[in-house]
Amino acid sequence: MTLEIRQDSTLPLGASFRDPSGFIFKLENRIYRQINHSYQNDYLHLIESGLYAKLVEEQLLIPHQEVLVKAPRPDLAYKIIEPDLLNFIAYPYEICFSQLKDSALATLKIQKLALDYGMSLKDSSAYNIQFHHGKPLLIDTLSFERYQDGKPWVAYRQFCQHFLAPLSLIAYQDSRLAILQANFIDGIPLDFASRLLPLRTRLTPSLMLHIHLHAASQKKYANTKPASNRSVNQTALRGLIDSLEASTNKLKWSPSGPGWAAYYEEEHSYTIAGLEHKQRLVKEYLSQINPQIVWDLGANTGMFSRIASDSGAFIVAFDFDPAAVELNYLDVRKHQELKILPLIQNLTNPSPAIGWQNQERLSLIERANADAILALALVHHLSISNNVTLDNLANFLQKLSSHLIIEFVPKSDPQVQRLLLVREDIFSDYTQEQFETAFNRNFIIHKSETIQDSQRRIYLMERR
Amino acid sequence: MFIKFLFIATQILSASPDKNTAYLDPGSGSFIFQLIIASLVGGAFIVKTYWKRIIAYFQKFFSKNPKDGEE
Repeated sequence: MTLEIRQDSTLPLGASFRDPSGFIFKLENRIYRQINHSYQNDYLHLIESGLYAKLVEEQLLIPHQEVLVKAPRPDLAYKIIEPDLLNFIAYPYEICFSQLKDSALATLKIQKLALDYGMSLKDSSAYNIQFHHGKPLLIDTLSFERYQDGKPWVAYRQFCQHFLAPLSLIAYQDSRLAILQANFIDGIPLDFASRLLPLRTRLTPSLMLHIHLHAASQKKYANTKPASNRSVNQTALRGLIDSLEASTNKLKWSPSGPGWAAYYEEEHSYTIAGLEHKQRLVKEYLSQINPQIVWDLGANTGMFSRIASDSGAFIVAFDFDPAAVELNYLDVRKHQELKILPLIQNLTNPSPAIGWQNQERLSLIERANADAILALALVHHLSISNNVTLDNLANFLQKLSSHLIIEFVPKSDPQVQRLLLVREDIFSDYTQEQFETAFNRNFIIHKSETIQDSQRRIYLMERR
Repeated sequence: MFIKFLFIATQILSASPDKNTAYLDPGSGSFIFQLIIASLVGGAFIVKTYWKRIIAYFQKFFSKNPKDGEE
């Protein structure tokens, strides 16, 4: 199973046009990277210094093979490499606080190792860090340049915009500010972050330095050429990295509020025997599909993601609530669950395609690569809370995958009654019969069974 | 170190308003900022490194004693 990326083969992919060192392209469903002649010396240093081997050993850089594939731009080409394939490409506005923090710390660890080997990161984009086997991994092999003594860190601004600004906004102001990352594709501008952060962050030396004073300096020296006789020696550069690391480590966020304790609410909608029955059914249906990649929509803290993961599949566990995703990720990290990737996704407003020509970062639907979708205890949230008709829902889900395991929660269910408490019941079509009719148009219903001690029903469906 | 920090803060914040505020060039501003804070972060790093070594020395020293006693 490969990522479905929409561009034609051998054209540089949408996110890969800025760096003159090379570009990513797709050929026969495989992803390659052309390295240009201009990057030859840096690439040779990366390999020959031992930095590449060290970073791969530490699981910080994506491994690759040098391959003999026809270069899309032979006039520029030095080498073609084939990096390991990822199961899913996630964007900074889809990851939770601790994932972003771990990505930041991984970036700084990579920079420290790079300095040990006479190199330095020339960018520090949060988009370049992806979660692979449960850990943050740099996926851009061309992010390194040979270190020049005295040169300031060229990626310092980007690090602060991509990592420190969103992390501090979540930690000190509101977790919902993370969505700003989707509007500012090169990270949150520091003057903006500085205005949004509460006053007390000016008393926090690390944020005063790297956000507030940094932003003020950007404004003051906007059109000034740095004096050529001044430099940042390596001790100062290591000091800068050390200071950023300490600043990042200090940032904490723990979800709170009335919703925080309610994550198992859905699970409380079943008796013990009912929950076991539901788990058994999901396992049985999954074993009939035998998927490699599963998207668990409305995964909550990941109970059913873990059941699916036990079947050997890789699970992308989406939930709209950053707190649930945070809790899920902390569990993944604690138990080293390598095949679960928790991500934030609001299905009523899924990630759009953004960036240059709307092609730099793909929409959720464009990244659909699952062999099966789990949609458990989800239908009522989309249909009752968001007025999505059952036809419309079936149409959306058939775009995502060929197989679907879905739970229908009827109107008589206490959870649906709770949703209807605060609004008029305009959902006369929300019945099991209408649900089956609507889904029958897009899917073949192979199996279904009512959960024990419950009126909820689980279906195994296949796209027509 | 704190005085140095205050000095940097004063230096940057007391700047007269830039006439070209409509256009931000974060690249040069970030470069110059690193030049300004280089001695602060570099100095802090040296102090931290030596402090860690001193702590490590004493930890080693004190953790050796009971062992010596046992022997």
